[in-house]
Amino acid sequence: MSETLARPATLVGSRVPRVNDRKLLTGACRFVDDIDLPGMVHATVLRSPVAHGRLRSVDVSPVGDDPDVLLVLTPQEVAEATRPIPCVWVMPGQRQTSYPVAPIDVTRYVGEPLGLVVATSRAGAEDARDLIVIAVDELPAVGAPEAALGEEAPLLHPDWGTNVVVDIPRGDPGEVVTAAVDGSPHLVSMRFRIQRLSGNPVETRGLVAHWDSRTQELTVWLATQVPHHARDHLAETLGLPFDAVRVVAPDVGGGFGTKDHLYPDEIIVCLAAMRLDRPVKWIEDRNESFLASVQSREQIHEARLAFADDGRFVALHTDLLGDIGAHPSNVGAGPAFVATGMLEGPYKFDSAGGRLRCVLTNKTPTGAYRGFGMQQAAWVRERLVDEAARKLAIDPAEIRRRNMIRADELPYTTHHFQNYDSGDYVGALDRAAELIRTDAPHHEDGRRRGIGLSSYIEFTGLGPSRVQQLVNFRLGGYETAVVRMESDGTATVLTGVCSHGQGLETSLAQVAADQLGIPLEDVTVVFGDTATAPYSSTGTIASRSMAVGGGAVVRAAGRVQEKLMRAAAHMLEASPEDLEMQGRTIGVRGVPSSGIPVRELAEKVWLGWDLPEGMAPGLEERELHDPADISYSYATHAAAIAVDLETGEIEIERYVVAHDCGVIVNPMIVDGQIHGGVAQGLGGALLEDMVYDPEGNPLTTTFMDYLLPSSGEVPDVVVEHTEVPSPFIPGGMKGMGEGGTIAPAAAIGNALADAVPEIADLVTETPLSPSRVWTWIRQRLGGES
Amino acid sequence: MKGETRLVSVTVNGRRHEAETEVRTLLSDFLRSELGYTGTHVGCEHGVCGACTVLLDGAAVRSCLLLAPQADGAEITTIEALASEGDLHPLQEAFHREHGLQCGFCTPGIVMAVLGESEAGRDLDEVVDDVLAGHLCRCTGYVNIRAAVRRAWPELTRR
Repeated sequence: MSETLARPATLVGSRVPRVNDRKLLTGACRFVDDIDLPGMVHATVLRSPVAHGRLRSVDVSPVGDDPDVLLVLTPQEVAEATRPIPCVWVMPGQRQTSYPVAPIDVTRYVGEPLGLVVATSRAGAEDARDLIVIAVDELPAVGAPEAALGEEAPLLHPDWGTNVVVDIPRGDPGEVVTAAVDGSPHLVSMRFRIQRLSGNPVETRGLVAHWDSRTQELTVWLATQVPHHARDHLAETLGLPFDAVRVVAPDVGGGFGTKDHLYPDEIIVCLAAMRLDRPVKWIEDRNESFLASVQSREQIHEARLAFADDGRFVALHTDLLGDIGAHPSNVGAGPAFVATGMLEGPYKFDSAGGRLRCVLTNKTPTGAYRGFGMQQAAWVRERLVDEAARKLAIDPAEIRRRNMIRADELPYTTHHFQNYDSGDYVGALDRAAELIRTDAPHHEDGRRRGIGLSSYIEFTGLGPSRVQQLVNFRLGGYETAVVRMESDGTATVLTGVCSHGQGLETSLAQVAADQLGIPLEDVTVVFGDTATAPYSSTGTIASRSMAVGGGAVVRAAGRVQEKLMRAAAHMLEASPEDLEMQGRTIGVRGVPSSGIPVRELAEKVWLGWDLPEGMAPGLEERELHDPADISYSYATHAAAIAVDLETGEIEIERYVVAHDCGVIVNPMIVDGQIHGGVAQGLGGALLEDMVYDPEGNPLTTTFMDYLLPSSGEVPDVVVEHTEVPSPFIPGGMKGMGEGGTIAPAAAIGNALADAVPEIADLVTETPLSPSRVWTWIRQRLGGES
Repeated sequence: MKGETRLVSVTVNGRRHEAETEVRTLLSDFLRSELGYTGTHVGCEHGVCGACTVLLDGAAVRSCLLLAPQADGAEITTIEALASEGDLHPLQEAFHREHGLQCGFCTPGIVMAVLGESEAGRDLDEVVDDVLAGHLCRCTGYVNIRAAVRRAWPELTRR
């Protein structure tokens, strides 16, 4: 049974408009590029022009004695002044567990930071940077994961003798899965490729670093999702005590995982601020965002689904090859780990497992991006499921229904040790299958039409610290909330999680206000500054802020409320059970004249006057919440599409989501997260593709050639919810920030295979761009080419 | 080109400014860094994302595709001008009510574009189908942006 809210919910569950919109709508917000400090100067980063090369020299002499140029840092100088950046998620046997802030011998990807120029203006810094001569002997490069494996493959680290950085078994032992596959009458076997993506928040990365030489303290305003994590790594790499570094996340313009990392270039900017003893600003430009911000997704799966005559799933297996890029980021092979760990989705199998192998390539490192492996898992699994259904001529909804874990089978432990908690997976499937056929458009325009389903389980609320230790993810999985009712009766909530668009300013205030029994406008949520926020080891990633951070707020606010009521009972000479709170007043139920204003009570508790025996003054409580286990949200998405056989173009005519993330705090915000997630999922399904040539040169480095979805490509999305509470989260919430992105590619791929069954076995790669779909159609249906 | 400067006079939100600036300065940088109008955001600096849209003599333009001297003598309107005496403009109010923004970084550009194009006489379908398609938002999925524009439209066209 879940810990429920102490008081009847009035705000939780309401579509409360957001409290922070005004500043964003009027231009009064403060993003990192809006910060201007006295004496501030501007940095630009010197980057590797080649995918793989031995650095001979970096000649800065052409910069000369330009009075506008204040500092030039070479790779040698950076390397001497910094320690390597540690990887946070380290797999068993992982060959590389840290990486240098700047390389001194070999550069391994285009855009790798090599140094820095600081000048009085950004343009002046860029002028000077362009004069620097980087002498480099190019080496053969690895441009694709398959190319990393060949006998003749160039090696990023010749001393390893291989480019494989991680190779581990997952789930059931290989021989068990193979025996199950061999013993079953039917098998679908497919090779899937998921493309590389770039996260692309509209606000790029950036920081302002300020070194105070008097106090020897570094303050950094950083566009980040993880202020404490960034602080810890900054201090570690710069050799400073942790308590001498303060990181402040100001307004942050989207993250999606991109800002869940401390980057080498950000450390170099801080180093420059320390050398110059004056504030330095650096704002990543869009081209750099394509080169130097972590990328994601790229995986190849050789996958098999074995099943019985009646469609029952027997075994699921994948041989995963992941492209890590030039070095493991702080999350390294994590997305591949999750792609295998969540491969089973909402279904039962007699056995399931796989091989996880990740290789280095001469491309930008990969890291976190919304969905974090679950998108790949859904693409592989849900495509296999539909092809199994096609083979047996069973309806795709029916084969899912026959294999799904039923509500009365929960909790349920998968072959990858996921302990699914609560829900009704079949209910969501049935609802989506029904909704997609409601008001389905009927046109006769020569295009083919199809419907696709995609069901998934979303791993949220990372995580119990215990689980993070089990998988060697070296961050604590808890969150802490401090709730203080001020002496005027308003309340301040301090949290270690932080918002960059998710609306936690409002949703956490709703949770706190309900628990405290005061109006929403009396609550302020404060976050983002390591000097004032409770320590958050993991930060706002992994759909955990409401589940883990919100759970902490529920508890801390509940304790403040309980203390306030005890104090009130004492002053009113009544028992706490007989009291009620109305408006901003507490009184004895049924005796309106007895009411004391909350403000008066709060003031007394802070003064320490008229308190019951043994009660300490003050109305501030701190609660740490380390959940007992993971909370699993789930959904089924369904897409209805039209395919133009002449052009290969896919149009989404209808898109529905039947979804459950436990107790919903603010339905407006939750729906908005789903809309945005679906849009990013559609981008990956239809448009986005971070393309490299075989020599490791990036080819899509502007918005002219890396296509993000615009309003024209994203339909109105129909969203319906059920609310099966989490058993592990005070308040019953589950996380949901990533779910929208997980399912769309598989839903659309399945719809395409439904519309054009002649190409069903070819629908294995994304994006499903017109050229790719057109090629498949020509291959199978012929026609002029 | 480095060094060469020009005196640029603009009226921003009704207030006149004059500044000596390098001729290569983008209008977006001029507004933000030299005049302090930081409500205008820069997302791509190559004219695709639309975050930097402002009104130049009433027309919606991408301020990252103009040099500051090209705006010499012009009247510019930025997001800071819209709310009056604490009241949000109906378009801002509609974005608030419909949850048409999340991180809010792209929002000023979208609001200015919709405002400019509505004043230029475009109809609602054109604005929703064409104008919005010229802006990138990574958070909202556009669903609620379209709802906000539809909600505000009667008031926008009445004004």
